[in-house]
Amino acid sequence: MGGILLAGPVFLPIFTGTLLFLLQPWITTPRRQTLVRGALLLLVLGNSIWMGALIAINGGESPPQVLFRLYGELTVMFRLDRMGSVFAGLVSFLWPLATLYAFSYMEKEERRPTFFGFYTISFGVTLGVALAGNLVTMYLFYEMLTFATFPLVMHPMTSQAARATRRYLYYSIGGAAFAFLGLIYVLTYSATGTTAFVPGGMLNPAAGGKELTLLLYVLAFFGFGVKAALFPFHGWLPKATVAPTPVTALLHAVAGLKSGAFAVLRLTYFSFGAALLRGTWAQWVVMGAALVTIVYASTMAVREVHWKRRLAYSTISNLSYILFGASLMTPAGLAAALAHLIVHAIMKICAFFCAGAVQTQTGKTYVTELDGLGRRMPVTFGCFTVAALSLMGIPPFAGFLSKWSLCTAALSAASDAGGAALPVVGVAVILYSALMTGIYMLSVSVRVFFPWRAAALPDRRDPDWRMLLPLLLFAGLLLALGLCGQPLLAALADIGKEAG
Amino acid sequence: MMDLFIPDFCGMGLHLRLDGFRMVYCLIAVFMWAVSGAFSREYMAHYENRGRYYFFLWATFFATVGVFLSADLYTTFLFFEIMSFTSYVWVAFDQRRASLRAAETYLAVAVIGGLVLLMGLFLLYDQFGTLEMDDLARLAGPVLSGPLEGRIRLYAAGGMLLFGFGAKAGCFPLHIWLPKAHPEAPAPASALLSGILTKAGVFGIIFTACGLFGADQAAGALLTLLGLVTMLLGAVLALFSVNLKRTLACSSVSQIGFILTGIGMACLLRSAGAENLTAVRGAFLHMVNHSSFKLVLFLCAGVVFMNLHQLDLNEIRGFGRGKPALLAAFLSGALGIGGVPLLSGYISKTLLHESIVEYQGLAQNPGLFYLAEWVFLLTGGMTVAYMLKLFVALFVEKNQDPQRQRAFDEMGPGMGPLTKGVLLLAAAVPPILGLLPHWTMDPIADLGQGFFYAAGTAERVAYFAPENLRGAAISIGLGAGIYVFVARGLLMRKEGAVRCYVNRWPQALDLEELVYRPLLLKVLPAIFGGLCQALDRYLVDTVVKGFLAAGTFCSRVLDSLVDGFIRLLRRTTHRPLGPPKEMLDSDPAAHLVGGILDRAAGFFHKMPKAGSITDRLARDEERAKGTLRLIQESFSYGLLLACIGLCLTLGYLLLSFWGR
Repeated sequence: MGGILLAGPVFLPIFTGTLLFLLQPWITTPRRQTLVRGALLLLVLGNSIWMGALIAINGGESPPQVLFRLYGELTVMFRLDRMGSVFAGLVSFLWPLATLYAFSYMEKEERRPTFFGFYTISFGVTLGVALAGNLVTMYLFYEMLTFATFPLVMHPMTSQAARATRRYLYYSIGGAAFAFLGLIYVLTYSATGTTAFVPGGMLNPAAGGKELTLLLYVLAFFGFGVKAALFPFHGWLPKATVAPTPVTALLHAVAGLKSGAFAVLRLTYFSFGAALLRGTWAQWVVMGAALVTIVYASTMAVREVHWKRRLAYSTISNLSYILFGASLMTPAGLAAALAHLIVHAIMKICAFFCAGAVQTQTGKTYVTELDGLGRRMPVTFGCFTVAALSLMGIPPFAGFLSKWSLCTAALSAASDAGGAALPVVGVAVILYSALMTGIYMLSVSVRVFFPWRAAALPDRRDPDWRMLLPLLLFAGLLLALGLCGQPLLAALADIGKEAG
Repeated sequence: MMDLFIPDFCGMGLHLRLDGFRMVYCLIAVFMWAVSGAFSREYMAHYENRGRYYFFLWATFFATVGVFLSADLYTTFLFFEIMSFTSYVWVAFDQRRASLRAAETYLAVAVIGGLVLLMGLFLLYDQFGTLEMDDLARLAGPVLSGPLEGRIRLYAAGGMLLFGFGAKAGCFPLHIWLPKAHPEAPAPASALLSGILTKAGVFGIIFTACGLFGADQAAGALLTLLGLVTMLLGAVLALFSVNLKRTLACSSVSQIGFILTGIGMACLLRSAGAENLTAVRGAFLHMVNHSSFKLVLFLCAGVVFMNLHQLDLNEIRGFGRGKPALLAAFLSGALGIGGVPLLSGYISKTLLHESIVEYQGLAQNPGLFYLAEWVFLLTGGMTVAYMLKLFVALFVEKNQDPQRQRAFDEMGPGMGPLTKGVLLLAAAVPPILGLLPHWTMDPIADLGQGFFYAAGTAERVAYFAPENLRGAAISIGLGAGIYVFVARGLLMRKEGAVRCYVNRWPQALDLEELVYRPLLLKVLPAIFGGLCQALDRYLVDTVVKGFLAAGTFCSRVLDSLVDGFIRLLRRTTHRPLGPPKEMLDSDPAAHLVGGILDRAAGFFHKMPKAGSITDRLARDEERAKGTLRLIQESFSYGLLLACIGLCLTLGYLLLSFWGR
């Protein structure tokens, strides 16, 4: 019974999405469309509430529930633990709002049932990644996520979209192959005999040889890192911005990239074990990769003038903040990575939704075309500015807290490792990136609110409530978290202590 | 003293404190915002977007008060950043090209300064595990006398703090935003920017210098040097400027230099083991005074701009004639800042001067501090000169265009009663403080000195003693000379019948245009961007291509490996039989025998069905030869030979045994 309860939030959206495909021929009249839309929103919302209730009732933890056995130790097992609760809770909070926004955004698009079908399926699959109790299950859902989301990238059905989709598939599947190596290794040399996640890792340190273990860790890190757009495997992300904005926002802010980062955290802290990796060459390799990504992506974001692509580069750089936190291999590093995972999801989805709102209202997609629009769409750009300041790490917004904890974690990791230089370089890199963030985000805000030439402004207004409600909620949340985020940080620090 | 902890708020929690220094500065903030706010009513009456202006005016007020109340650096940083961003809107408010450019500079300095400051805080937090000011001040002392590594870390952190706070305070070489931003912002906002926002930076510098490095000689020397350079440079810039508000802004830079020198002297005196109260009180009182002067002066500039929408000295010349209220206010500020006795500036400058003189006796190389004293006096003189230049331009000279002068004269006071009221209220401060120093300034200094971690006991200074008056007299005398020879001689040109103010400052000598902008906008993006683009365009492509090429090569090799194996087999063990061999004519034996047999068969009419016997024989011979060759080449043949050899050996051995 418990298994059904736990698996419910994963499979309900998958069934709902499939049902939507079947219903497609029936949805012909506007009335039926409204009906389906309402039902879908209710289902998604209900699913989120179910997930929330599960987390609330169990206090974020539940015993493992084996759903079925593929073969031998390859079991599909769900288990709610506190780190999974964080991710699941985040996803469940953002998804209904994103769905609401998508209804408004997709109004003029075609093939809506297909779109919303896959959109809803992705919800379930992402929750599957969050709730997975062992590496096998996580890997399965991770792969499924690729296949559930590529039709969404493909949705515009242009040759550009096709190219982007192909690239997305190649990168993701290739990455999964490397991750698979790690999975097999863990399965073979696990001390418990299974791949079930254990805080602090369950790999038998004696078996397999130290160097081989490290090599396979690095391979698996890069494998899962592909989804987190780790340099040099980031190429698919800027291209994938051809997808409709709700997808880019969700794929970038929540589902795809965060799943990659989340998988890396699971791999590092719950499978291989941070203690095993601390101070080895593997740690410096992955940390170096994350830092290169940060510098690279934040610089590229400044050079990019296409608004959504610029945000995509910003995402790449911010995802590597999380990976940097993960690569510190300390409890504080894990806590900081989780904090940035949450905060970045909110601020990036906010920024993307603003870009999408502007695109639907005015059709403008380049940063250079936005002069003076702030007077016409004050709420949208107000929310964007909040997201921008938060992304820069300006107090009192939430981004400051996560960056603060990330940097202090890095410095204390450096002291613990006997004055290692790389984490200190990491702090400098993060500050450099903050400066770049200031340039690429604030230049938009400045342009829209303080135009120096009086361009003929299109007579556009803020979008309707379905778009504004999520935006305002996110902006408010960023401020609230920034002001009173300490309980959250404390909870994350607890998770870190347990797993580090 | 009151402490307020708000635990867990904004991450690490806030710690606010109300003690003497903080109370004085909060009261000054309240006073300045009240005056500027009231002044804004008339000044801003004709602007659009007034709501935006007022919103950010008051948002900055709260942030600034937050900075001045903060008792740990984390809180300071929080409010400091908020203050930077909300005050940005003031500078950009006009939305003209120049103001946006100035705002860009302001924002860039604020952001970069903020980030460097943050890095400094990270280092401090990592080193000490706390950002409470009191704890830091307590913990830093042992580190400074401890091992080298800890000292280096502390110096690095302190340098970053100094950079971050110095950027806001307008310390050289980060003063670039002041001369740009002040002329562009609305006048009440300029008054606040110059009067109190820069002091928020000074607040941080005071803690860094006096709290962290209280008794450190190197820090004191650095600050003194920076202070002297800043004060001299600001004064030179102010003297050359022909724009009313720009002059005032450069003057702010210069006055910040005075304050920094005072802070530096406080550190130096303490490092020499002497009492440093003179320097501390001088620096603090000069902060307070400068706030009040700049409030008055910028509001006067605001009155000019409100009426004329011009700030060029040639255009506004003669505006102040016949406007007694404006004259009184301007005189109060100008004489005060010039250090004329009976106004408050004289008191603080006297104390600062005194502190330099005190240190001359203690310094290892007193010559340098005699030089410092003369820089101090010279800058004081230049202050007098540029204020005199403004005064003469506004209130003494007539406009070159008599019609305009008439229009000026007909404007009356040029401001409404409320504006006039607050202007005169602000103008009353310097004379009151200056006339009754023992009643007003000494208590203020008593309140403020605690924050400087000062050593010693306050003595009653005879401010109007002859030796103190002498310093002021030298400065004023120098100022008059500079005004006559430089400001009127060098910096004016005769155009027709009138002498005009000209800007003789070389355009090329602009630190921002010369260094910062090219560095930030060209060099760094070129390096990083080029690198990243190269990475993006070439590295990834090359890696992918290389990977593919290597993969293809390996596959080919593997491919031909199997192929080669099969070919090898086909050549050796699995060799297919060749086509039937042609008749070999060259085999005489077969021909001979075959020919005879053939004929014999022909003779007996018994021709075999299989054909000619010659052919058959030839074929058989060929096959026999082939077989023989195969046998000879084959492994088994070798084995056979070896076996025979072994058998022979065995036989030989047996024979030899048998023979024995």
